[in-house]
Parts: sequence; C-alpha cells; structure tokens
Amino acid sequence: MLDKPASALRLRERLLDSERLMEETGCYDGITELTLRNQDPLKFETLHTKLRAYCVSAREMARRISASPGVREVGEMVVAIYTPEGDAIALSNGIMVHVHTMSRFIKWMIKNGYEDNPRIREGDIFANNDAFIGTVQVPDVMDVVPIFHEGTLVGWAGAVCHELEAGGITPGGDVCLAQERFTEGLFVCAEKIGENDEIRRDYVIRCERNLRMPIYWVLDEKAKVASCIDMRESVKQLISEIGLDYWMKVSKEFIEEGRRAQLARTRQLTVPGIYRGHTFYGHVTAGKPGFQLLGDPDWLYNIPIEMEITTDGKITMDFEGTQPWGYHSMNCTPAGMDGGMFVTLTQHMNFEGLVNDGAWMATELKLPHGTWTNPDNEMVATATSWALLLPAYGVFQRLLSRSFIARGFVEEAFVGQVNSPMIEMGGESQYGTPFGMAHFECAAAGSGALAIKDGLDTAYVGWNPESDMGNIEVWEQSMPMVYIGRSIVPNSGGAGKYRGGCSFVSTWLINKTSHLRIHTSEHSSRVFDNGGMCGGYPAPTCQKHRAVRNSDIHELAAKGEPLAHAPGIDPHVSDYERNIGGDHVVVEGPYITAPHKSGDIFSHSYNGGGGYGDVLERDPIKTAWDVENGFLTRQAAEQVFGIVLKDDEDGYPIADIDATVERRAAMRKERLAKAVPVVDWIAKERGRVEKADFAPEVKKMYASAIKLSPRFTSEFSEFWNVDARSIFMPGAKP
Amino acid sequence: MTSYSKEVLGDLAAGKLPWPQTRRIMSAYKDDDRFFKMVAVYQDRVAWKDSILLPVSDHLFICQSGDERITRCECGHSFGDYRKNWKLKAAINVRNTEEALREIYPNSDLPDAEWMEIREFICPQCGTLHEVEAAAPGYPIVHDFEPDLEGFYREWLGKPLQQT
Repeated sequence: MLDKPASALRLRERLLDSERLMEETGCYDGITELTLRNQDPLKFETLHTKLRAYCVSAREMARRISASPGVREVGEMVVAIYTPEGDAIALSNGIMVHVHTMSRFIKWMIKNGYEDNPRIREGDIFANNDAFIGTVQVPDVMDVVPIFHEGTLVGWAGAVCHELEAGGITPGGDVCLAQERFTEGLFVCAEKIGENDEIRRDYVIRCERNLRMPIYWVLDEKAKVASCIDMRESVKQLISEIGLDYWMKVSKEFIEEGRRAQLARTRQLTVPGIYRGHTFYGHVTAGKPGFQLLGDPDWLYNIPIEMEITTDGKITMDFEGTQPWGYHSMNCTPAGMDGGMFVTLTQHMNFEGLVNDGAWMATELKLPHGTWTNPDNEMVATATSWALLLPAYGVFQRLLSRSFIARGFVEEAFVGQVNSPMIEMGGESQYGTPFGMAHFECAAAGSGALAIKDGLDTAYVGWNPESDMGNIEVWEQSMPMVYIGRSIVPNSGGAGKYRGGCSFVSTWLINKTSHLRIHTSEHSSRVFDNGGMCGGYPAPTCQKHRAVRNSDIHELAAKGEPLAHAPGIDPHVSDYERNIGGDHVVVEGPYITAPHKSGDIFSHSYNGGGGYGDVLERDPIKTAWDVENGFLTRQAAEQVFGIVLKDDEDGYPIADIDATVERRAAMRKERLAKAVPVVDWIAKERGRVEKADFAPEVKKMYASAIKLSPRFTSEFSEFWNVDARSIFMPGAKP
Repeated sequence: MTSYSKEVLGDLAAGKLPWPQTRRIMSAYKDDDRFFKMVAVYQDRVAWKDSILLPVSDHLFICQSGDERITRCECGHSFGDYRKNWKLKAAINVRNTEEALREIYPNSDLPDAEWMEIREFICPQCGTLHEVEAAAPGYPIVHDFEPDLEGFYREWLGKPLQQT
C-alpha cells in the first residue's frame, strides 16, 4: 500500500510548517486570502455543506450499528473530517467536545513519527483514549482512518463514542475510584488497531478480556470504523469531482474562514474587556471504602477564570489561581480543556457559518502547569474530569453571557451548563451474566436560566447539545433495576427572575440480582458549583443519595399500600423513610458502598441550573404554573420569591397579585435592613482572614492556590490588605 | 440586513416577546444595529438623564454623568467610577449559616456553610439584588467586568467616546 504524502514534505514537516505559517501570518496555514471563496462563494459554501452532510449521515448510520444505549439512545458520538495535519474541517452534531481532542490525537501521531513506525497506510485504523494524547477521559475512545486519494494522504476521518464500560477499578466509564492512571481501565494509546479496513482480532480479544461489558466497546468500534469509512469514501468521491488541488486548498480555506468567522462573531456579539468569575468543587471521600490515602480525602477546589476579549476579537481564558492536580479522578488534560472550550463555543457563538477547528484557533487557553487543568504528571487519573470541566465551562458561559448582555443580545445570555452527578454500575445482571454500565440518563440535567426566560428543564448538558435522558424501557433492558419513579425535582433550578432549569430524580428497585455495585461520580455536595447570574441564585448543591436496603416494597405492593416514588420535599425525612420499611441509608458524595441486591431501593438526583435576575421580579402567574406542575413548591414560591398563592375553585394555585406586591415590598425592606455596607463587611471579615479562621479544607485550598500562583497571592493580599503567604503558609520560604 | 424595532427589542429584553418570535430572533442573522437600539430601550426605562454607555447587568449601567463615567443602578443610585468594582459600594447580606441558606433552599440538601457562603450584593437605595456570589469564606469579592469602553466605542462601534 502507498503512504506517499500529498506534498514533497513528510506529514510531520508539513504540520510544523503549518504551525510556523500560522505563527508568522496569524492566519491558518498562512492563508491570508480566501481565494477560492472569493472566486466562487456558492461552490465554496456548497462544498462545506456537503462535508457536513457526510458527517451527519455517517454518524446516524453508525448509531444503528452500536449496541450501547449511550450511543443509540443518547447520541454519545461525534464524527469529523480532518486535514492531513489533523485540523477539523467539518463535523457532525453530537459530543462535539471531541472534535478538537481528535485533532490533538492525529497531530500527536504525526509528531511522534508514526509515518515511519507503525506507518500510516490506506486502510489503517488508529484508536486512542489516552487523555494526554488527545481525549477527555478513558471512556471517550476515538478511531481515525487516513484518507488517501490515488496514493496521496489527503485527510483523516475520525469518530468518537463514549463507552459505557471502560474496565476500571469501578465499573462504568467515569471511574470514580481511580486515583491514578493505572486504575482507570483499558488504555489504547494511539494504537494501530486495524489494517485494510478491518479491526484486528487480537485487539478485539484484548477488549473482550479486559472489559466488563465488551459488547458495547467492540460494537462501538465497528460503528466508528463504519462511519469513518463512509466519510472517507464520500470525500474520495468528492475529490474525484472537484480535483485534488482544489480539495487541498479549499479544505484549508474552510478552516481559515472558520477562524475569521469566530473573530467576527466575537466583534459582533460581545464587548472587549476583562471578565471574571469563579466556581468551586467539593470532594468528600473520608471513610469511604476503596479510597487510598494518597492525599487528603476531603478537599475543596477553587476554579477562578479570567476571560479577556481584545479588540481584534480574540478570546483568552486564564485559569491562574486554581488548584493543583491530585490523586483523584477529576484531573483534566489540555486536550480536555480544549474540548470544553470547543464544545462551548460551538453552542454559544458558532450557530451559523462554517463550524470547524478555525473557531478554536481564534481563542487561547492559559492553563497553569501543575494544576488540575494541566498536570505536570502524566500518571494522574482523568476518569471524571467532567466534574471540574463542567462547572468551569459553566463559568465561561456566564462570562460570555455578560458580554452578550452588554452588547444588547440578551436572547443569547445563558447562565450555563451544570455539573451533574452520574451513576455507574456493574456486577451480576438480571440475566445472570457479568455486566458493567454507565447510566447515561444524566445527559439531561437542568440548564441555567436565560436572561429572558427560565432554563430548560431536564433537557441540557454542556457536553452534548442534543441532550437526551433516554427511554426508561431501554435502560431497564440493560441493568438489573426497574424504575419506580422518575420525576421533576421541585426547586432544583436556582431561584431568580428566571429560574434555572429543573433536574429530575430517579428511583429504582433493584431486581433479579444478588450483586449490584452502584457508584456515582461528579458528586459535589458541600458547595454550590452551578452558579447564578445578575442576582440569580446558584442551583442547589448535589443532593445526597438515598437508598433502602432490605426494603419491604414487595410486601407493601402485595397489600396495595402506597409506595414512595421520589424522596419528597422534606430535606430532613424522605418519603422513602415515611413509606417504606428497611435499612435506610443517606450518603453524601460519591456513592461507594457494599453491593446491593434484589429488593433494595436506590435513588439519585441530578442537578439543575443557576438562576438569572432578582427573585423578587419573577412573574407570579408563571410561578403559580410552576407550583401546579411540580417545578416549585408553594413554600419556595412564598418564602424565596415572595409570591403569595391562593387556590382557585378547582383547587389549583393562582397568584394573589395584591398580596404578592405587599409581601415583596416587605421582603425588599427586610433585605435592606439586614444588609450592611460592603466596606463594613470587608473590615469585619478581614479579622477572620488574618486569623485564618476557616475549615481545614478551606485553608488548604488557599495554601495550594498561593503556592502555585503569585497572581492569586497578590490579589488576595491586596483585597484583604494582608500578607496571604504568612497567613496560609507560615514558615514557608518567600 | 436584519433589524428590529425598538418596541420589539424592548419586549425581548423584558421577556415579554412571544416565544415563537423570540425563537426566530435567536435563529436569525444578528442585527448589526442592536447595540444603540438596545441602549435606547434602556434609556427609556430609566428616570435619570445621564446617557447610558453600556449595560453591565440586568439593572446596572455605565453612564456618562457630567465629566465622569459611573456605574448606576436603574433606580439612579451611583456606584461610582465604572473602572472600580461597583460591589464595593453595594450593601451585602451574607448567608453563611444553615438557617440563612435554608431561607433560599427550603426543600433541598444544603452545602456546608463552613465551605461555602452566599453573598448577596444589593443596591443600598432600592434594594435590588444585583449579583449573588457563591464563594468559600474568605474568598475576595470578584470584580466581574472591566470593559474596554474606549476601545469598544472607537474600534468596534466606530464612534469614539468624547474625552473627559
């Protein structure tokens, strides 16, 4: 087979040349003029639309090959077409976070001498799920195939599926117990897994021997390879129509056009300046079985973000001041951070024109070395990096949204994506066979509010704009649990003039198994990690897990007694405790316990989004509808929003407008009476700061940020007029 | 060229535009004359005479007040020089106890008040809640937005601000 490159230069040299040209000219691949676009814009646009159609069609076809409900039902897949150097030209819908992570994977192979060994030939299939090479986490397994045209390498086709089982220390894909790379699961590190369009049998055997549920991974591999071959053949056909020279030029002009479009959109939609925000993540593992004491079991991370928009339209995000990587599964790599940026941009700003790697090139990420965003140790685990990525990019969305508000585009302002916990499980299935699976109904949390309306209820996650919780019946086919409830969680959106979208809670009866391990990840319970905006409150923190071991549900059902289908609205006593007998369990943080068995009950709540605007401006009539439909409780309507409800003649809640006006006026007065001038608060709080009168986890967080970041240290010191180092790192060398 | 009337934009900003129309605006090409029209909408909304230069939050605006550019609440209260953090001149209510957090989250599990507090930044004149920070105790107050006002007007709007 041929592996002749498209030009006299080898791929590696072409890649370095392309990067040099970008550096020198500021334009992708040195393309300072969009010649082909100017010559025939209609042909230019039509060709890109065709490429996008190839991608969308290939993905839809491939989803039918997959056995995984994650891919088939929820759409956890994306495909894209790349230049020979690995820059995305066109992409499908789906988990777009991976369009740029695949780009990193291709470039990594080129830079690491793959042209010589193992060589890049027509029909080859390469796979990767190593985040330090180019993905987010172990379950995000990507396949790419080179596209040759008459012996010349002219591009790549790539596909990613999120695997529901990765063979780690805990079942599922987001391996919450992983504290180092070595417990995350099956790694495929930029490996040639097939030749002549066929996946190697020895690779399949490795998957079959190392995964709890290999059917998902292996059939997803076949789906991905099929989609790549489909795209490859379409591109080859296209090249035969338009000619190789035109293809090689136009594919790069598409990217430069994408870069320019991103800059133009920034100038059109935003206001230049510096934007700041932060979020936090709290991890609680003390006393949980399985965690090695490699670091503090409980910790608090701060994630400050400074975004700069310059007058040339460039967006830079800086994570200076955040925390170091740790012996937990939530670290992220620059590839993952890139991916988060890309998927957020595609949703917020790239809603028209050519969407490709050009958008990413118009931005810059500053990821301090040694932090969780850019670990200086490649042995760290990244299995649940979404736990920190999601709240971080929720902040990015709020920062962008402030710029949209300033520019007058209020309809684009969005309080942002949320971190929401996930369930994984394994053990003995309802069919008596070994199994493992991530339950992907989490792909439908509540969204943050918009600046003109409430957030989406149970319908949004940041990583996949096509968010979908999947059908109950499909999930029940895949796990030894049956649903006894799936319902809206009242008040789960952050309060505000526009409330955050609500989340849902599922309740299951464990069924037909004697050994079901359930684990959860991304569970930040001690802090708010999904903030509000412009006066809106953050969404509630992660709700605790509630389970009943050895329940009497079958006896209750036999007697026709009422059951509990959701935890209810009393935070102190759940409806499970009221209605169901057995050993009741309440667990905070990741759920790591002994296996469950038939007859046990387990419930899991997802997260809602942050609110927008002052609660006292919320529409009373809309609120009555919310109460009637279970999105808000009456208690919250009156206590939080100041909306007085009464019943109509049929017993449905309606707003008492006069009483509401009166109550809100009183609440506003009370608000002012309670508040103190900020300068007075700072003067008082300063005493507490000087004494470091904080919980150990808070003090540790400050000490870590100060150790890593001179800027954080000086800003902290300046704000409180103290010497931050001497307070939080006494005795440390300057 | 897409363009909307001031009335439509006023309803959009107030959340009163019917959803199908809002949806069409979201899906359409953006209107290049939006900024000054939206400023005019806000200008009609406020009772004071200072010219609005930039909206920065739901009810906060940077405006030209004589020779100064200041951040002003919709009610008219001035938070001072727009380059300074307006929050430092606000009133604050901090929720750092279970009882205080429970007032906002009556039916949910709560965060640990030792790890996290809620700071409400309030206009001392009208009591509007302008911003909420969820932060660890001791975390410096964030300066949310420092706009490049001069650069924005000069290079993006093509209408340089008058020197003050």
